[in-house]
Amino acid sequence: MTPRFLTPKELALLSLVQNELVPSYGDLPPAGTLGAALTVDAYLAEQPRLRRPVLTTLRAIEVRSGKTPFAELDAGRRVEVLRKVEDSDPESFSELVKQTYNAYYTRPDIQASLGIDGPPQPLGFELPAFDESRLSRVRAMGKLWRDD
Amino acid sequence: MPAPEHDSDVLIVGSGASGAAAAWSLSRRGLRVTCLEQGRWVDQSEYAHSRPDYELARQTSFAKDPNVRGWAEDYPINNSGTPIHPLMVNAVGGSTVHWSGHFPRMRPSDFRVKTLDGVADDWPFTYWDLEPFYDLNDSMVGVSGLAGDPGNPPRSPRQTPPLAFDAGCEAYLRGLEKLGWHWWPCDNALISEPFGENRSPCNCCGPCDIGCPIGAMSSAHVTYWPKALAQGVQLITHARVEQITVDRAGRATGALYYDEQGVRQSHSAGVVVMAANGVGTPRLLLNSTSAIFPSGLANNSGIVGAYLMFHPVALVSGVFEEVVNGQRGPIGGLMNCQEFYETDLSRGYVRGFELQLSRNVGPLSVANGGILGHPVPWGSGHHEALRSRYAHTMTTSVMLEDLPERENRVTLDSELTDAHGIPAPRVEYRLGENTQRMLEFGIARARDLFEAAEAVEILVDPLVRESGWHLMGTCRMGDDPESSVINGWGQAHECPNLFVIDGSTFTTSAAVNPTSTIQAIALRCADWLGRNYQEVAA
Ligand SMILES: Cc1cc2nc3c(=O)[nH]c(=O)nc-3n(C[C@H](O)[C@H](O)[C@H](O)COP(=O)(O)OP(=O)(O)OC[C@H]3O[C@@H](n4cnc5c(N)ncnc54)[C@H](O)[C@@H]3O)c2cc1C
Ligand code: SF4
Repeated sequence: MTPRFLTPKELALLSLVQNELVPSYGDLPPAGTLGAALTVDAYLAEQPRLRRPVLTTLRAIEVRSGKTPFAELDAGRRVEVLRKVEDSDPESFSELVKQTYNAYYTRPDIQASLGIDGPPQPLGFELPAFDESRLSRVRAMGKLWRDD
Repeated sequence: MPAPEHDSDVLIVGSGASGAAAAWSLSRRGLRVTCLEQGRWVDQSEYAHSRPDYELARQTSFAKDPNVRGWAEDYPINNSGTPIHPLMVNAVGGSTVHWSGHFPRMRPSDFRVKTLDGVADDWPFTYWDLEPFYDLNDSMVGVSGLAGDPGNPPRSPRQTPPLAFDAGCEAYLRGLEKLGWHWWPCDNALISEPFGENRSPCNCCGPCDIGCPIGAMSSAHVTYWPKALAQGVQLITHARVEQITVDRAGRATGALYYDEQGVRQSHSAGVVVMAANGVGTPRLLLNSTSAIFPSGLANNSGIVGAYLMFHPVALVSGVFEEVVNGQRGPIGGLMNCQEFYETDLSRGYVRGFELQLSRNVGPLSVANGGILGHPVPWGSGHHEALRSRYAHTMTTSVMLEDLPERENRVTLDSELTDAHGIPAPRVEYRLGENTQRMLEFGIARARDLFEAAEAVEILVDPLVRESGWHLMGTCRMGDDPESSVINGWGQAHECPNLFVIDGSTFTTSAAVNPTSTIQAIALRCADWLGRNYQEVAA
C-alpha cells in the first residue's frame, strides 16, 4: 500500500524503528512488521500537528546512524541510536513512541492477546453485586462529620 | 394581547450542568425561557465505545482539554500561567457530556470554613438550606450509591444501588481494613438499574470519560434537557454569546451572540442567567463592558474572575500482583475515603482532602502512561512491563480543598481570540502554601494505602496538569458586595436582574467533586428567581 503522507523511504525506516520500540512477543510479530507504520502514516495525513515531531525524529535517527544506514545496523546498535535520539529530543521521540503504541494497541489481534474479546460496548462487563456486609466496620465508626 | 416586552422572560447562557437544571426549574413555573449554547448536540454516532480504537478518542475527538480537542464550538484558553489546565466540554449538556460522574455532596463544615477554621469565608447559606435541592437534583438525574455513610449527614435513599464489588474493591479494602480508615461506596451520577426515559442502566463498559453511549451516565443532556424542552424551553445551539447587554441604568437587557451562520444576533430578556462555567462566565462578564461597568458587567468591585479555585489533584496508582481489571466498570466511581476530610492542625495544614479510590484504563492508555502519565518503556522489556500494569492497576486521586486566593484568576487575553474574534480567557493560577503541604501529606497517605493493600509497585503524579475539571469561585457568592459578586440567590450585587448559577458561584471549594452542589445551587437560585421573577424583572 502506498503511504499517504510519508515517502516510501521514511515509511520503511519508521517500520524498522517500530520493530525496536515494540518488539516481537511470543507469537506476536513486532509492531513494524504488523503494519503499524502505515497506520501512523494515516495519523500523520489526518493530524498535521503530529508531523513535525515524527519527521524530526526520523531525520535524527538517520543522522545518528552515521554512514551505515539504520537498516544495516545490528539490533544492539539500533537501540543505541534510538536511545541517543531520545536523549537529545525526548518530546519529539515520545510522540513517535505514542503514535506507535496507538497503532499497535488499537489492533483487535493485539487486544485479543491481552484477553480482550471486543470493544467495551455493546456488551460491557458483568461485575459482582455490591456487598453491603463489607461496610460493618465503617458503619460502627459513628458520626465523622462536623457541624459545630 | 400586547406583544411581550422581551424575547424571553429568562435568558440562560450555557446548557451544561447548571443551565439545564435552571431551564427545567424556571420553565416549570411557566416562564418563557431561552438558552443560548455555543455547542451542539453530541450525536450518538460520535461515541467511540464500540470501536477497537476507542481509546484514541481520549487524545482526539473526546479529549478533555478544549485546546487539544479543538472542536469548532470550543474556544481557546491561554494556559501558560497555570500548572493546572482547565478542562471542559462545550456542547448541549456542557462538561457533563464526558465526565466521570462522581457525585458526592459537600459536608456541612464546607459551608462554614471561616467560622470553624478561621480561613476564607463562610457561604451565605448552610448545608441544610441546600439539602432539599440536593435531594431534588438527585431525584431528577438518578444517582447510584448507598445512604448511611457516617462520613456525611444522612441522606435520602439513592435512586439506584451501588454498582459492584469486584477485585479492585477487594484490593482497596485490604488496605483500608488494615489501616482502619473510613470508606464508603461513592454516590455516582449514573444509574445501575432502570431509571428515567430512554436510558439504559450502566453495563460497566468502562470509559465514561469519553462519554456514555447508552444514557446510563446522568449527564445534563439526558436528564434535564428532554424535560426542559418538553416544558417549552427554547434551546438555541451554535449560539456563541459575545456579551451581555445593559441599559443606561445598568440593568441587563439580554445578549449579543453569533448564530450558526456567524451572523450577529441579539436576544432580549427580563432576566439574564449565567451558566457558562467557572471560566466561560467571568470571560463573558469581563467582555461585557459599558459606560456604567467599564471593567466588565457587575465588576465594579474588581472581583469577577478572581478567586479561581480548582481541586488540585495528585494521582497515585498501585500495581497489584493479582488481576484487578480496573478497566472494567465506570472509571471514576468506586469508593471514597474521607478519613482526612476535616481540619486537624497537627497535620500541618488547614481543611482537608478525600481519597477517591477509582479504577483504571485500557491497554493503549496504559501503554501511553495510564491515568498518571508514566508511559510503559519501549524496547525489550515493553511487553512484560505492559502486562504487569494492564488489568493490574488501580488509581486513587488525592483531591484537595483549594482555598480561594484573589491572585488566582480568569482575565481576558490581550491577543488570543476565539473563531468569532471574541477575546479568549487567560488563566493565572498558582498553588497556595497550605495546598502544597496538604498535597504532600495526601500523597503519603495514598502510598500508605497502597502499601497496606500489598501493591507491588506504586506510581505517583504529584500534581496532575490535566486536572482542571472543577472550575470554581470566579463570581463568588457572599453577603458583602466588596468581597463577592453575587448574593446567596445568585443575584449580582451590582446588577439585580443578572444571576450566576454555575461553578463560578462557589465561595470555597470543599474537597469533593462539585457538580451535585452546582446543580443544587442552580435549582435553589432558580426556585427563588421563579418565585420572585416579577419583582426582579420589573
Ligand atoms: C473530563 C471531566 C471529568 C469530570 N468529572 C467530574 C466528576 O466526576 N464529578 C463532578 O462533580 N464533576 C466532574 N467534572 C466537572 C463537571 O463536568 C462540571 O463541574 C460541571 O459540568 C460544571 O457545570 P457548569 O454548569 O458550571 O458548566 P458546564 O457544564 O461546563 O456548562 C457550561 C456551558 O456553557 C457554554 N458556554 C460557555 N461560554 C459560552 C458562550 N460564550 N456562549 C454560549 N455558550 C457558552 C458551554 O458550551 C457549556 O456547554 C468533570 C469535568 C470534565 C471535563
Ligand atoms: S461504564 Fe457505565 S456509565 Fe460509564 S460509559 Fe460505560 S455504560 Fe456508561
